[in-house]
Amino acid sequence: MSVWDVFNGKTRFLEDNMNVDKFVYTLGHGYEKFFNGLKEGKIIASKCSECGVTYLPPRIYCEECLSEITEFVEIKQNGVVLGYTIQNVDKDGRHLKEKVIWALIGFNGVRGGIFHKLVGVEPEEIYVGMPVKPVFREERKGSINDIQYFTKTV
Amino acid sequence: MSSDVYIIGIGATKFSPSTPEFSFKELMYEAAVKAYNDAGIDPRKDLDVMVTAAEDYWEGISIFDEYVPDQLGAVLKPVFTVSGDGLWGVAHAHMLINTGQFDVVAVEAHSKASDIVDIQSIWRMALDPYIHRPLVDNVHVFAGLEMNIFMESLDVDRDAVSLVVSKNMGNALGNPLAPYGADVDPDMVNESEVVSYPLRSMDISKYSDGAVVAVLASRKVVEDLGVDAPRILGIGWVSGSSYIEEWDFAAPEFVWRAGQLAYSMANINDPYDSIDVAFIDDRYSFRELQSIYTLGLDNGYSLNELVYNGVTYPDGDLPVNPFGGYLGCGYPLVAGGLQKLYNAVMYMRSGGGDVETALVMTRMEYPSPSAAVAILGW
Ligand SMILES: [Zn+2]
Repeated sequence: MSVWDVFNGKTRFLEDNMNVDKFVYTLGHGYEKFFNGLKEGKIIASKCSECGVTYLPPRIYCEECLSEITEFVEIKQNGVVLGYTIQNVDKDGRHLKEKVIWALIGFNGVRGGIFHKLVGVEPEEIYVGMPVKPVFREERKGSINDIQYFTKTV
Repeated sequence: MSSDVYIIGIGATKFSPSTPEFSFKELMYEAAVKAYNDAGIDPRKDLDVMVTAAEDYWEGISIFDEYVPDQLGAVLKPVFTVSGDGLWGVAHAHMLINTGQFDVVAVEAHSKASDIVDIQSIWRMALDPYIHRPLVDNVHVFAGLEMNIFMESLDVDRDAVSLVVSKNMGNALGNPLAPYGADVDPDMVNESEVVSYPLRSMDISKYSDGAVVAVLASRKVVEDLGVDAPRILGIGWVSGSSYIEEWDFAAPEFVWRAGQLAYSMANINDPYDSIDVAFIDDRYSFRELQSIYTLGLDNGYSLNELVYNGVTYPDGDLPVNPFGGYLGCGYPLVAGGLQKLYNAVMYMRSGGGDVETALVMTRMEYPSPSAAVAILGW
């Protein structure tokens, strides 16, 4: 523990770290299906057999009727932009070398969606409802980053 | 459900960008002493339960709730912490008193944001570790997304949003507890740095340190003390799905639902007609307009008209954040709701009986889909 000594020689603060560097986050059934699907270049959702709602990301319980969900379905990868923002600075306020367009992507008949980067699009071309599709990385390891970005459907 | 709970006292420290001379416990102590004096009670004798609102990560201490009784007059009393904003604490105190088992319950919340050396990293830790954290480091990106969807869906002008900043920072000039009072031209906001389009740096409330304590009591206590105290006419809080992907960013359903719970308890059918003044979430400038719309306080105006016609200005039909909001008082993390409650009580007391009903509302920040609404009356 170190001491800051900044106010005319008076001690005013103690400094310490919140030393919690590592944590593992168990995927569970829902995210296992989702991430292993991405690894295979697929987008997997889950569908409640009681009320018919299809959820993305997939999960094993329905927030509407609380039924257990056992049906996982691959969805069509053609999505649309539901909303977007253009990031200009990082968390510490530094300008990004290149602005990043982030978009919320929705899919037909699916509740939820995927929040991800949008690339190959000029800001002024973007509109709500714009058709987009994912571009997967060559090398995939089961993470949200297996999708490199979304881009417009030509 | 009915409500027979009163705010018999409230105390706050100044809100400041930093408070290097006081520890968090000393800030809490100052607010508590002011609140108990204001209420005219002796906490060592009269206090039945102490509720605090805190999140360990903001405090830098895990199991933070054990660090609170001594500076609040609550040693050897029932104490618990709500992991959320102070307005959620008020909801819990309200329920406790309504059981009939407790007469005096105090609620505390504070911010020592200036002690958090890397606050953005703590916001980052709040993001979904599976699908958001691997992508995004700056939580304001989600506010930019929400703002863009809100403004496009409801056809809100950039100028109308910038006027909210200018109004609230201007309102804070008259508030001795507010650090960010300033005469701000909307063009300054329009030209401030883009953080995540369309969100600009001046759309984001700056942080403040400070503490607030509110003392709630039953009708019996109010009658014994012989005081005229504002009553909580209604209160409600709601959480939506934790999946941001499912939110209605234009007009979040969890905000609407929290409002409906409070309105129904307070028997309010026409919010615009019934509410005289509103203290609502403006952590991000656009949130003020979004919350007005979602809580049905727009009276059929478009949000642009509402601002341009001056409806929400201090001399308008429905003053909103007349003491400066978060933009003017600073955003004191989980003490935000109590800061707004404090301002509401002060406003009602100074209103010479003209202010019948005040609405207090705040949201928990990203990624929380949570809102709380309280209605105060006489
Ligand atoms: Zn279902």
